[in-house]
Amino acid sequence: MEGSFVLPGDEVGSAEEFVPGECTYARGGVIYASTAGHVRINSKVRSAYVEPKTNAPPRLCRGDIVVGEVIDLKDSLVVLSLAFKKGYEGRPLSDEEATIHISNVKNSYVKDLRHMFSLRDIVKAKIVDERQMRLSTSEEDLGVIKAYCNRCMASLQKRDGRLVCPSCGSSENRKLSSDYGTGVI
Amino acid sequence: MIAMDESNISFFKDGCRLDGRKADQLRPLKIEVGVLARADGSCYIEMGGNKVIAAVYGPREVHPRHLQEVTRAIVRYRYNMASFSVEERKRPGPDRRSYELSKVSREALEPVILTSYFPRSVIDVFVEVLQADAGTRTAGINAASVALADAGIPMKSLISSCAAGKVADTIVLDPMKEEDNFGQADLPVAMTPNGDITLLQMDGGLSPAELHEAVEMAMNGCRQIYELQRKSLVDKYSQLESLSQVPEQEAEACD
Repeated sequence: MEGSFVLPGDEVGSAEEFVPGECTYARGGVIYASTAGHVRINSKVRSAYVEPKTNAPPRLCRGDIVVGEVIDLKDSLVVLSLAFKKGYEGRPLSDEEATIHISNVKNSYVKDLRHMFSLRDIVKAKIVDERQMRLSTSEEDLGVIKAYCNRCMASLQKRDGRLVCPSCGSSENRKLSSDYGTGVI
Repeated sequence: MIAMDESNISFFKDGCRLDGRKADQLRPLKIEVGVLARADGSCYIEMGGNKVIAAVYGPREVHPRHLQEVTRAIVRYRYNMASFSVEERKRPGPDRRSYELSKVSREALEPVILTSYFPRSVIDVFVEVLQADAGTRTAGINAASVALADAGIPMKSLISSCAAGKVADTIVLDPMKEEDNFGQADLPVAMTPNGDITLLQMDGGLSPAELHEAVEMAMNGCRQIYELQRKSLVDKYSQLESLSQVPEQEAEACD
């Protein structure tokens, strides 16, 4: 059975033998495929799953790079609304929220989160826990990739490692990604 | 053009129908998967003279927001006929007929889509009829089902759809335009490969025995269409396999 190509509704295995894995569902003791792809068996946890071959909606896993917008700032937590996963820009995520804990913002000590992020910032981050959707921006290319002035909402420009507002001249602090303002994800 | 006087029409010639088919024979069917680059999933289908294209988008954010469901994705289905799809120009835009077909087609597909995986999202299905020749709703459902599989939307199974009709007191499979317009009944059916019916409509009149025979005939047609839907998807994705040159055991494993 392993390796064979299945379509939605095709039998993948028996529920007595395997745990239904990703892209499968179980009905009446039988595991069926829910997506077109190849049957795979994970012998460690004895699960049968389907590796999608079609243009399937992206699944978020640990280590994936995602891009999202800051929608809330708490004392030790930033809440992001995720937009898409790197490599899957054409299939936007809907209804996915994630958090960055203050300890995962950068490698050094962070005293105040408000110096690292602000509302409406666009952030690139890596998933460190896919269950609780916790992200990290501790690497150099991770962090804010686009930010807006808190006074006048103009988009901020990077000058000598700091963000400066071209219209009102105020400067702001962020945990910047090395890709800030380049449009590169 | 066939004479408009219904009494003069003969639907059978030498035991065959006007296009040479037997009573329980489908029209030629052609299915192409992934024809649109911008859609998440797409399919083009030709069922006899019907030419239908389906595009699937999603799961994506719901706009307007008040339509979203907290526990599941909603499915939106738009059936639309091109103004050039029929003999006399059809006035473009939604009308009473297309609202109804959108609703029944959505309800034919919704039971197999695993909507609970994508709360607060929408799965949009657009079906455009480019050329109509009776049975466009069934062609649309067949195309939409393949397009959903192409988009990787989790589904319990595919859906196949086919109509049966009654002309000259005979039950026929997959009526063409003349049989649909001047026949006595039309009965579109959609079902899963297991035989669970998700769409059953009837236009005209059938006796209980005839209804039974027509449903059986339409279900047989659905089974034949399912095999072709299956083949189109397997062909498309086994072709991708050979392009990407993965280990042999995977490429040959298509059943």
